[in-house]
Amino acid sequence: MNTNASRLPSNRSSNFRAYMRRYGTLYLLLILPLAFFIIFRYVPMVWILGAFKENNIFKNPWELDWAKNGGFEWFVKAFKDRTFINALRNTIMLNLLDLICGFPAPILLALLLNELSFKRFKKITQTVLYMPHFLSWIIISGLALRLLASNDGLVNILYKRMTGNPDASIPFMSNTNWWVGTYVVLGIWKEAGWGTIIYLAALTGISPELYEAAAVDGAGRFKRIWHVTLPGLRPTIITLLIMNLGRILGSEFDRPLALSNKLVTDVSQVISIYVYQNGLKANKFALTTAVGLFQSVVGVIFLVAANAMAKRMGERGIM
Amino acid sequence: MKKLLTLVLALAMLLSVCTFSASAEELVDGKFAETRHITVEIYNRNNDGGTDPTNNVYTDYIKAGMLEKYNVEVEFVSIGRWTEVDDMNTALAAGDAPDVCVTYSYPTIQSYADMGGIINLNEIGGKALEEYKDVLPNLWNLLGDTNIFWDQDPDSGDLWAIEATLADNARINTFIRKDWLDKLGMELPTTEEEFYNCLVAFRDNAETLLGDDASKMVPYSTSYDIGWRNDLLFMAYVPEDAKDEDLYINGFDDRHLLYPNYKEGVRVLNKWYNEGLVWKDFAEYASDSTHEDDMMKAGFVGAFQHNWDYPYRGGEDSIQANLQRNVGEDACYVAVDTFVNEAGLHRKFLAPSIDRKVFFPATNEEPLASLLYLDFISDPETIAFLQLGKEGETYNVIEGGYEKIATTGDYLQNSLNNIDYTITVNGLYLGDATAVTTAMGYEKVSPELIVTANAAAKADGRIVTTYHCGAIEAEQEYGTRLPEFRDSLLNKAVTASVDDFDAVYDQGMDDYLTNGGQEIIDERAAKLEQYYGYTAE
Repeated sequence: MNTNASRLPSNRSSNFRAYMRRYGTLYLLLILPLAFFIIFRYVPMVWILGAFKENNIFKNPWELDWAKNGGFEWFVKAFKDRTFINALRNTIMLNLLDLICGFPAPILLALLLNELSFKRFKKITQTVLYMPHFLSWIIISGLALRLLASNDGLVNILYKRMTGNPDASIPFMSNTNWWVGTYVVLGIWKEAGWGTIIYLAALTGISPELYEAAAVDGAGRFKRIWHVTLPGLRPTIITLLIMNLGRILGSEFDRPLALSNKLVTDVSQVISIYVYQNGLKANKFALTTAVGLFQSVVGVIFLVAANAMAKRMGERGIM
Repeated sequence: MKKLLTLVLALAMLLSVCTFSASAEELVDGKFAETRHITVEIYNRNNDGGTDPTNNVYTDYIKAGMLEKYNVEVEFVSIGRWTEVDDMNTALAAGDAPDVCVTYSYPTIQSYADMGGIINLNEIGGKALEEYKDVLPNLWNLLGDTNIFWDQDPDSGDLWAIEATLADNARINTFIRKDWLDKLGMELPTTEEEFYNCLVAFRDNAETLLGDDASKMVPYSTSYDIGWRNDLLFMAYVPEDAKDEDLYINGFDDRHLLYPNYKEGVRVLNKWYNEGLVWKDFAEYASDSTHEDDMMKAGFVGAFQHNWDYPYRGGEDSIQANLQRNVGEDACYVAVDTFVNEAGLHRKFLAPSIDRKVFFPATNEEPLASLLYLDFISDPETIAFLQLGKEGETYNVIEGGYEKIATTGDYLQNSLNNIDYTITVNGLYLGDATAVTTAMGYEKVSPELIVTANAAAKADGRIVTTYHCGAIEAEQEYGTRLPEFRDSLLNKAVTASVDDFDAVYDQGMDDYLTNGGQEIIDERAAKLEQYYGYTAE
């Protein structure tokens, strides 16, 4: 601290200088990531304006004329378009199913892994469980087709042999209801193992003393899971749940695209595919920007609401 | 400093004036005084053992020729063949599309033209394209006014693209396993009923024909692209007296979905499907799957419809060559002309002689050099070299034409007859030598099969008149998504039970029409009335 009286008026600036001398290099380090975010995340946000302007990607969005209906032409258009409504419905349906079936899966798996006492076996199991995460959906869809095709898929060939009826087959990929099931189950298969990592990490943070104390009090294995492990995982679970709810309208692109076929488009067309088909393929950039903006706004609303709810229930939340 | 800035600005202005006042006067003895540079799109097919499409003996020929003849440097830029529309969209949106672009999708060009992203060919250097006719003799000879002005707007005169020509408009054929018919003592089918009997015989004699693999028998195969892969069957149900005007009004869909009585053709396929004559899983495999081809190569497929020379394409890797390797020398697909309409004709609806569309994006600063490129690439001498290659290396001269030789070296052609380079013409274009060369052009396949297939694909062909009504707005709006509705409708209808067929088809058609199909029909009808005075009944 500079205490020289004659320089008192500039005390503040010299403070700043001293601070910068000390921490300047850290700020210098920050410049690059900041530049990245400004250039690639914030500057493109100008194009959000495109959602309210006429459809043209060659002109500066500031210079474009406003769209009709007070700028809301594209929003009105999207909501009048039955294919968009369908895509919206499918997105919500598939994401909810994913959440209900897929969200608990890694928790259960982590609990199971945690109970394994044979270290080596645990390690191998974990590795095997992580593997599907590294396969792309294109590869998985190819595998799925070879296994599940109605007529010459392996599963159906076995099914035919078992039932002795050459016409018997389960329409995994061609019936809309079955397809939704296939979609969700494949999603769990691919990501559940990977999802356990974060829970397993949280589990290491639980003090072994708690388990010992519970054991001394006569708690069995299930009681210990219920009263020690799960409460220990609660903050992690809540955080991930909030983040998942923020993605409720977001949709994966490659997964529905790769798994879909012409018989199940009624349930497989999600918003991301709608955006791809109308934006990139049909050059309706304003319309699809509007759809993207709508998706983000709804996502933020869900995120904030879930966060508030978590806080009200006494959790820490993420914001 | 200020002076320097002024100078730079003035120079920049001068430069931009120069580039925008492209005119034939810039040429001295038909040549640019200063070397110009243009970039040209070339499809990349990523074929096994193929050469770099942007740098090989054929591109060297073009580069040397353009430099010598016009003092223009040519640089090739590759675009994925199978993702061309998406790639082209991305390039155009990013402003780095090549100077000379080619695509099969006119709607892509139109929508970028609407945003000011495409050069109006009737305004190059402030002149109509017609005024450049003198410096573009080969282009005009090859395409004529018909193709050059095909896309010209009847009101504004705007011209965004030139239509390449289709040298051979053979389209689709029906193929059947001749060796199976021989084995079963059956004749080549000449009617739908006979064809159906063949399929039933294949199904019922699977043990005889395939032995242990009997369960893999597919009497008739199709893909999810029902409209293309069964066109000949469906077209036999279109009334012979359907007028060109009405077919134009209902002609948006290139698979002819909206043609009258189409549904009855689909109904036949639905019946076959339910009788176990059609590949059960066709709808579940996507466009890039090779599963169906693999079944054909393995010898499990009895009959199918596809591009007119489909089983013969690809030399050693063709379906025919694989089939003979896997099954035996006598295994063979032959083209049969089977489906007859009410008037007793083997009616096929062939495309008019237009093909790919060539255009210049707004970022093109050398429109004149680009036009000259089109002229160079349309020169019969250039075309002959690109399509044939080098004598002794890729072809031999035979009586009446040329015989292609299989090659794997530098002269390998990445696309059949190098159609990717001859962007103004698709198909062999060798004058009188064309017919013989076509027949001899397939390695491992006997010329008779090709001649039969080519003739069958064009027998009783009908080309519906094209009415030039300018851009149809509803097609811009809905054009790219309607094929999805079409495929969904046809896949569901074919796989429905016979009892549900009507309900499924009608529901799908309703979806198609309410999602833009009807608007297109109405606008086409209105434009036809406006420009040609035709009133739809």
